[in-house]
Amino acid sequence: MHLAHLRLRDFRNYARLNADFAPGFHLLLGDNAQGKTNILEAIYLMATLRSFRGVGSAQMIRHGQKGYFVGGKVVGQGEREIKMFWSARERNLTLDGRAVKKLGDFLGTLRTVVFCTEDLQLVKGTGRTRRRFLDLLLTQTQPGYLPLLQRYMQAVRSRNALLKQFAPDPRLLESFSEQLVKLGNELIRHRRELIPKLSPLARLAYRRISNDAEELRINYEPSVKTDFSVELAQVRDRERRFRATLIGPHRDDLQLSFNDKSAAQFGSEGQKRTLAIALKMAQAEYLTGIHGSAPVLLIDDVMGELDAKRRAGLLPLLERARETSGQVFMTCTEENWPRELGRELQRWEVKAGALHGAKS
Amino acid sequence: MLPDSITSLIAALAKLPGVGPRSAERIALHLVQTEAETVKHLANAIVHAREKIQFCTTCGALTEKSPCSICEDSRRDGSLVCIVERAVDILSIEKSGTFRGKFHVLGGKISPLDGVEPEDLRIAELEKRLTGEPIKEIIIALSTDVEGDATSHYLAKRLTRAGLKISRIAYGLPAGSGLEFADELTLSRALEGRREM
Ligand SMILES: Nc1ncnc2c1ncn2[C@@H]1O[C@H](COP(=O)(O)OP(=O)(O)OP(=O)(O)O)[C@@H](O)[C@H]1O
Ligand SMILES: [Mg+2]
Ligand SMILES: [Zn+2]
Repeated sequence: MHLAHLRLRDFRNYARLNADFAPGFHLLLGDNAQGKTNILEAIYLMATLRSFRGVGSAQMIRHGQKGYFVGGKVVGQGEREIKMFWSARERNLTLDGRAVKKLGDFLGTLRTVVFCTEDLQLVKGTGRTRRRFLDLLLTQTQPGYLPLLQRYMQAVRSRNALLKQFAPDPRLLESFSEQLVKLGNELIRHRRELIPKLSPLARLAYRRISNDAEELRINYEPSVKTDFSVELAQVRDRERRFRATLIGPHRDDLQLSFNDKSAAQFGSEGQKRTLAIALKMAQAEYLTGIHGSAPVLLIDDVMGELDAKRRAGLLPLLERARETSGQVFMTCTEENWPRELGRELQRWEVKAGALHGAKS
Repeated sequence: MLPDSITSLIAALAKLPGVGPRSAERIALHLVQTEAETVKHLANAIVHAREKIQFCTTCGALTEKSPCSICEDSRRDGSLVCIVERAVDILSIEKSGTFRGKFHVLGGKISPLDGVEPEDLRIAELEKRLTGEPIKEIIIALSTDVEGDATSHYLAKRLTRAGLKISRIAYGLPAGSGLEFADELTLSRALEGRREM
């Protein structure tokens, strides 16, 4: 799959942009603050309807304008046209000219995996970051997962609202607990099934790009140990004190460890960085395996931070993207772009919200 | 700039369900350029309908006289009652033409997030009907989102009594107005058969 065309209007520092992209490697070169990452952000937005910088849509509107437009043509099995417009007053999302009614039908039109400095939070950050990672991967591979997750979160919020009341009606609480447990068990099952498939891919990726011989382990750490309803009943008193739903998939985590010691607590900075990249590589490999074609890889700055050995470890993944007529977008500043990537790349110069094809 | 009277008409129209700012503007501009007689007729029809229509004190349906014609219809099966969320749901079930029992409009669903509690719904009215009418079976036909499901569960628990059968059909789709990207818009769950609760 590849993004054949990108159109931006009033998105970040781009007043307007029209660009055609062939499959293969694209190197976005430019000084700082010129708009390299903004391009990756727009592509990721079309894939997930979110910014990988974790900001809301309002921030992506070009200063002083009312709304942004992001559109693109995706070539995979067929050709799909995505158009999204967002302003405070109006939101519009169409696929091939028709309004998108079910998000599940839309997500998957464009699949991306982003590598960015924020990835380090996968190792250092809270469980929320790791749950997001799992949720995105499951959304990208399991058609019913997103609606399920949304229903579950609705059940959590409803239940929390009940628990905030002075004396919640026990029968009512019971009714929402039943929803919570039913939906939560489904989520747990999906996550439990995913980890054993993801784990070997991450280990392999880690081994390929790391300089150490430590054994990486990824374990699913569900908040619910065996029986959701039973455990929920056990925390009832604490729930009443804290006035919130204390257990369930919304409190799940992933345990990342080296030789059985927590990566966040005992890993070196370099190990953590490498681990974060390995997780993203595993995501890309997993998607490739499931869908038979590589996702579009968006690599923001990270290549420049890696030493030659670790860069070399990334190459097979990038090569595979090329073999399956996939696409890679990589941002770099002029001084640190990985020259060993060879001649077969399209260089672009990014300058003050404009993109120009450059000769390689 | 549009004259104030048009702007306020647009604002009033935009409050109607399913009418976005753009269609409100189109309708308003159409109305102010339509013959005065026609517009007066429309305005009268709106006021007249509003004055005539009331809720059936028994089932909660929209009606001109209470009890409504469905509640009064002796050919309908009075032992069977279908619980719906809103009065308009009766119309769609009636259109399908397969249901021969009576109705009870709940007036919404329990929503802790929107502050809708059981007391805000017509549940007490239903309990009264259960003692006064020969009801043997209740079919709950609420939307299939989390709140609809929890409300159904709650009702099944609360209404349980000897000799009363309670079942559930999945009905309707959670409304997906306003396109917020992060939300699933429709969760179409096929109409499963009745499930006894
Ligand atoms: N909403 C916005 N409207 C207008 N300009 C914006 C907006 N948001 C960010 N910018 C501008 O975009 C530029 C940053 O773009 P971007 O993050 O893509 O830079 P970059 O080329 O990736 O730089 P670096 O190499 O430092 O990562 C800045 O000049 C910033 O002021
Ligand atoms: Mg950048
Ligand atoms: Zn009636």
